[in-house]
Amino acid sequence: MSKLNNWKAIGTVLGETDINEYHFSLKNYKAKKGDIVTTASRLPSTDGTVIPVTVWGKISSIERFNAFFPAEAAQELTNEDIDIRDTILPTTKDELRCKVIILGYTEDGKEKISKLLPLNYPVMPAAIVKYPSSKDVEELFISDLDSSHPISIGNLLARKDVEIKIDGDNLISRHISVWGMSGSGKTVFVRRILTELLNLKYPSFVLDIHGDYLGFVQKQKKYFPDNKVKLFYPNLSVRAEDKEIVYTLIDKLGNTLTDPQRDFLNSLLEKIKYEGGSLLQYIKLLNVKAREFASSGSASFKNVKPASMFVVARSLRIVSKKLENMEQTNARHRRKMSHLKFEELPDSATEPEKIISKGQMSILYLRGYENLPASAIVSIVLENLFRHRQEASEEIAPFFTVIEEAHNFIPSRSENKDDIPSVDTIRKVISEGRKFGTGVMIISQRPSRVDETIASQCNSQVVFRIVNQRDQRATTRDSETLSNDDAKQLPNLANGQGIISGQIVNYSLPVQIKFDEKLINDDIGNENFIDTVENWDDKESVKLRKKFAKDFADINEIDSRRAN
Amino acid sequence: MTLKVDIKDKIKQNSSMFVNFIKNAITASPKVQNNFLEVTTKVAETALKIIKDADLIVDLNYKGKEFWSINRCKTSCFIDGGVDRTSIISSAPLSIRAGSYIVKPDATSKREFFEESMVFLGDLYDPKNELYDFVDDDFEEDQMLNKKKDGARIIFEAATIVKHILLNKKFDYCFLHGPLEATVMPFTVAGFPTFTKFAVENMFPFISKNSSVEARHFINAYLEALNYIKKSKFPIYGIVETSNSAPYIKNLLFNYKIKGTISDKDYNSVIKTIKKYKITDSHILEIILSSGQALKPLEVKKQLAGFTVTSGSAWEEKMDSFPKVFIGYIKTSDNQAPVRIESLNYPKYLIKDYEYILGTSRLLPNYGFPVGLNVVDKFAKIPNWMSKTSRKYYATHLLRQAIKNKDQNTVSLAVKILSKKSRSWKNRPIGGISK
Repeated sequence: MSKLNNWKAIGTVLGETDINEYHFSLKNYKAKKGDIVTTASRLPSTDGTVIPVTVWGKISSIERFNAFFPAEAAQELTNEDIDIRDTILPTTKDELRCKVIILGYTEDGKEKISKLLPLNYPVMPAAIVKYPSSKDVEELFISDLDSSHPISIGNLLARKDVEIKIDGDNLISRHISVWGMSGSGKTVFVRRILTELLNLKYPSFVLDIHGDYLGFVQKQKKYFPDNKVKLFYPNLSVRAEDKEIVYTLIDKLGNTLTDPQRDFLNSLLEKIKYEGGSLLQYIKLLNVKAREFASSGSASFKNVKPASMFVVARSLRIVSKKLENMEQTNARHRRKMSHLKFEELPDSATEPEKIISKGQMSILYLRGYENLPASAIVSIVLENLFRHRQEASEEIAPFFTVIEEAHNFIPSRSENKDDIPSVDTIRKVISEGRKFGTGVMIISQRPSRVDETIASQCNSQVVFRIVNQRDQRATTRDSETLSNDDAKQLPNLANGQGIISGQIVNYSLPVQIKFDEKLINDDIGNENFIDTVENWDDKESVKLRKKFAKDFADINEIDSRRAN
Repeated sequence: MTLKVDIKDKIKQNSSMFVNFIKNAITASPKVQNNFLEVTTKVAETALKIIKDADLIVDLNYKGKEFWSINRCKTSCFIDGGVDRTSIISSAPLSIRAGSYIVKPDATSKREFFEESMVFLGDLYDPKNELYDFVDDDFEEDQMLNKKKDGARIIFEAATIVKHILLNKKFDYCFLHGPLEATVMPFTVAGFPTFTKFAVENMFPFISKNSSVEARHFINAYLEALNYIKKSKFPIYGIVETSNSAPYIKNLLFNYKIKGTISDKDYNSVIKTIKKYKITDSHILEIILSSGQALKPLEVKKQLAGFTVTSGSAWEEKMDSFPKVFIGYIKTSDNQAPVRIESLNYPKYLIKDYEYILGTSRLLPNYGFPVGLNVVDKFAKIPNWMSKTSRKYYATHLLRQAIKNKDQNTVSLAVKILSKKSRSWKNRPIGGISK
């Protein structure tokens, strides 16, 4: 390849090589971890000739050592507080040894850089390692991506001027996991993807727990005038077929029931017909009925003692109270953002088009809901939407689902929460979704707490900073393309820096995600709590309460004085 | 009595003394073993008395940070040589080099240079002489080979110093790893080849181009080099890690014998004892000196005629022409034996120079040796892979030449080189895939 001659030589291939990796000695400061490098090689072709090729690789690790600097000298320098530059110790003899993961090869002598092919013959030891131009690296990535809908997500971590795109088609038809600690850049990445999907008019459904995506609603008119961004709050409405979910909710949210009490609850659910509508009203109705049966007795429940019925009634009252509280909490949060238009989530069974529609992003704001009810809501909605995609009539367009805090909806088996309703639903969507155009993105800060089967079906991964070792292990366990060297890098990644791997890019690449600052939710304040406290002033009600408390304390003190 | 107790304690804590004791325990008779500690103690006590009488001990000053802030402006050069380790029959050495590490800590541009001052690949010695005279005895052959290698290394190191002087380098100090003046007796043996004309001309341009074959012999060439080095404007020191002999103690005793302070009888008796128990300068001085102390240099005649190897040699008279060497010692660390300091002139600034050696050694607090020499040692050393490559290259080249020339001698040499030791145990094939 003539281009090869223009690239700068940065090192020499060392000793033993194979078809997967090689090591090379690097010139000082000429490349960094994550950089793309090339080396010229020759391969036996299928017709028996030997062809010149360019082998492309990624620097996965760099070791630096100074063989001339004895360890015991460091001891003396430290003890005596000596600056090494004042001494005769050598400071310039550092050696750099890089490990390169081979990405593939391109044939030389072609006008454009072709798609990468898997290497099947080792790289030549002592070959020169070169640093390709940013333009050529970008050309390689685009050519190799071979996508009709490339989505720009940022730049190569090691080279700002190399834009990284992912395959949009693979993204929405398959599934992707996004892992990273809180504040590491997960939401930045998701916002980037959602922005691009809006531009492509591709429908998306976002389960937003913290209000991270409300910026889309606020800025819709300005930045997405041709799209719709809908903001929904949950409506705990269930259909008669969802009886199992109702049972699970009562069972898990209420008191622990004995077997006879559970039998009574089951029979109650059978007897009190549910025609759909508000779940809360239905549970209240069940409570009333349970009390009636307990007080007056019923021929249907001859074998159930009234005391058991009262226990079930009490449990139903607790459940309804909890659900009411959650609804109220959610409503309180919504009221704080009164300038945003919240709509009640339409019935996904009968009006799915109101949730999924071309060019629309639908955000389900779940703040305030505990895991179980949230899981029930998600399960019901996703089940219905998926069914609409499965049916021959295809009432809704293909869509992309974003599941924030995925460990709450699809917990790992080790969490002993296997029976929460959304697990089965998401498992089904993930395993069959590809055929029906229902791609899923699961996001979590605790990958080790996410269901292993579901995580392993995500054939693309974006991993941000992870310090917890269990979580680090989980990321490599679930990925086919993330190497151990990549995993070692995870604790050191800065905000917005991630390793992207899998079918959306073909190989793992360290990337700096483009930050769409304009899409930040203005209502979520900063996290500078020290400044908040500094400027804190008690509300009037609190001041009054404190004043009264002092008066009462004075009374008590006088009262407790001894009479003398 | 206090002195005796003190020295006995020091002996118990002394590592190299312990090693020697173990060696003696293996080789010497039970009587020698029993007497070892007592004899060493007595020799050390006597030596200390004489050293004190001669006022030879000096205390050196070293305060890490202060020392380096004063000495950061000094330019120092550290020199060491490396020879390949592979064994090959030829007028070898095949590959040899001498490296210099030149450093000026406060230099504004480049503070340090690593320089391959002398590099050579091929026959350093003249093949017209004894190249093809193989000895039937393998042992003798190996002995000669080792001598050639040593000779080549020594001459290369000397040539490197000469080169720096010729280039008028402005060093504050120059240090050589090893003795500044090597013992040359081993190279006086009959049959030791002369250097090639090309090699001598390149190493020592001051040796006349029309010089005789004798002038290219190691002894003559080395003598010329030493005389040239002696005239250097910057101080040059050879630093020796451990002393395997006792030149300082023996010379000290000899001087006292000459002065008449020790009788001939006592002198002969103690020298005999030192030999019998293999007591070296390192053993005695490790006990006598404390860390940071040094011994003032004594002038020592290194090339002693009458040594068994050279007795009757044509070079015997030449020995007197070699310059005398000034030998001193510095105890750089509590854990190590003192290092030997050699120079061809008495140090002009003894204390300052010795303090500089101490300071550079303190950067290797456990090993107690000037760190610059440790650095250049690693730099100049010829690694195994390089030795193997040069051997292969040389053998192939020789065989090609042999076939091309059809010269019987060359062919037989090539065959011998290629077949020599190819079946030795070291070259047995390794099971599985060799890495």
